[in-house]
Amino acid sequence: MSTSLNDAKALISDVSPPAWYRQVPAEPVTRIRPSKSWEHLDFAELWAQREVFYFLMWRDLKVRYKQTIIGAAWVILQPMLITLVFAVFLGGLMRVPSDGVPYPIFAYTALLLWTFVSNAVLSSSYSLVTNAHLITRVYFSRLLIPAATVGVRLVDLVVASLVLVALIVYYDVHLGWRILLFPFFVIEIAALTLALGLLGASLNVRYRDVGTVLPILLQVWMFVSPIVYASTIVPPRLRFVYAINPLAGIIEGARSSLFNLPFRWPSIITSVVITLSMLIFSIHVFLRMENGFADEV
Amino acid sequence: MMRPIIKAERLGKKYYLGPRETAPPTLREALKNSLHSKVKTISGGNRSRHPSVWALQDVSFEIQPGEVVGVIGRNGAGKSTLLRILARITKPTVGKADLYGRTGSLLGVGTGFHPDLTGRENIYLNGAILGMNRSEITRKFDEIVAFAQVENFLDTPAKRYSSGMYLRLGFAIAAHLEPDILLLDEVLTIADASFQKKCLGKIKQASREGTSVLFVSHNLGAVQDLSDRAFYVHSGRLHAEGKPDTLIGNYLKDVAVQASASD
Repeated sequence: MSTSLNDAKALISDVSPPAWYRQVPAEPVTRIRPSKSWEHLDFAELWAQREVFYFLMWRDLKVRYKQTIIGAAWVILQPMLITLVFAVFLGGLMRVPSDGVPYPIFAYTALLLWTFVSNAVLSSSYSLVTNAHLITRVYFSRLLIPAATVGVRLVDLVVASLVLVALIVYYDVHLGWRILLFPFFVIEIAALTLALGLLGASLNVRYRDVGTVLPILLQVWMFVSPIVYASTIVPPRLRFVYAINPLAGIIEGARSSLFNLPFRWPSIITSVVITLSMLIFSIHVFLRMENGFADEV
Repeated sequence: MMRPIIKAERLGKKYYLGPRETAPPTLREALKNSLHSKVKTISGGNRSRHPSVWALQDVSFEIQPGEVVGVIGRNGAGKSTLLRILARITKPTVGKADLYGRTGSLLGVGTGFHPDLTGRENIYLNGAILGMNRSEITRKFDEIVAFAQVENFLDTPAKRYSSGMYLRLGFAIAAHLEPDILLLDEVLTIADASFQKKCLGKIKQASREGTSVLFVSHNLGAVQDLSDRAFYVHSGRLHAEGKPDTLIGNYLKDVAVQASASD
């Protein structure tokens, strides 16, 4: 037995593999398994496919900014027009308190961020359905699709921030050290938006009426957040309830950093905790439902 | 002994045939329903009620590097489901498969093109999906374009391509980006005679260079011509595997028997 085995081994080692033979790795490149109830986020895969993310984002941006003037103008006009309306009615006629900051720049700061949230949540919720032809034909981490959509809106946000810079100059706003934290709030709001976008996207694949409900929910959300008014109009004993909405802490924080007002840490910390929990939850839901996307979309 | 590049064990895929929820008449109901069923989906409870079908069942096989395997079988036998699982488009319900190499796939004419991206950009996108970096793709770029004969349409969005151009470019990308494993579904059936010939040549060349090819086709001539081995899939099962001539013979006999039975 052992001799015949050795003979066989010797025979095999004599035969060198043909020139074209590719070395088969010891470990599989891809393991295909049934879906599990808890899928883990494959960071290595996401990193390997970062170019796909870049392409998805770049394609959307190209379409948007093709006619540069109109594309960029629309991105700026949307928050500006809304600001104008609120500045006239709420700021001008009703004299809504704005933390001692001129109302137009007070509202524009928040509306800029809100426009990002609203557009990004809506478009990432539709992203899987609009990219159905890709999902059913080729494999790459589906997470990249809504993530790229949020990324595109983030670029819009940067473009629309140019108006904010102009307003800062015009109203002669004195920036202080707190402005250093402004990017942090942008990152936080992007994380919150991604969380909701992932949730919306995975639900939208199965229930197409999500698209009907979403705009209404977004509208409600806008008015329960301190966007066109300051959260100081909420009685102090109810502030902790108000802070459950993570957007409240983010918008307030962003405004405090811009206008160098003291931070209200409890609501900021609450918003960070809720945003992170929501992100973890929605990534989980997304990965769980991801396996069915190609069959259902 | 060579190690296999694809190893599949008892793969199975079950599809649910349940009717999709009808559109809820009111917004209130829509909300209620979607919330309700979301909870049910997460707990995985709402599916058992629906009738189901095993599109693929108990499929095990191994494929060696450089081997070309043709998959034959009737429509709805599970051939495409098998390729979709291996291409990771959908997950198996049971079983497992290990792929020991980079996988390129071309499943039907739709390919994986982004309609708004130009031909040039789609080449890079597909390369990125395969996990290649830009310099690797650039190296292969001219060859792909020449093979697909789309030189004049490189900067045209893919949505303006004819289905022939779509197919040619899709095949060219999948075959030239040097995957270790190439999955092709019904590509040869759609291509015209001259491009079919070109495809056959390319598949042979890829196989000589060590790429394993698993292809589904109703073009039995191509299966016979190309494959080292054939799989005969019937009713979701790997009915038989072996020499292409023998299996094609069996398959044609089965088809003939069925045809006369239904007369």
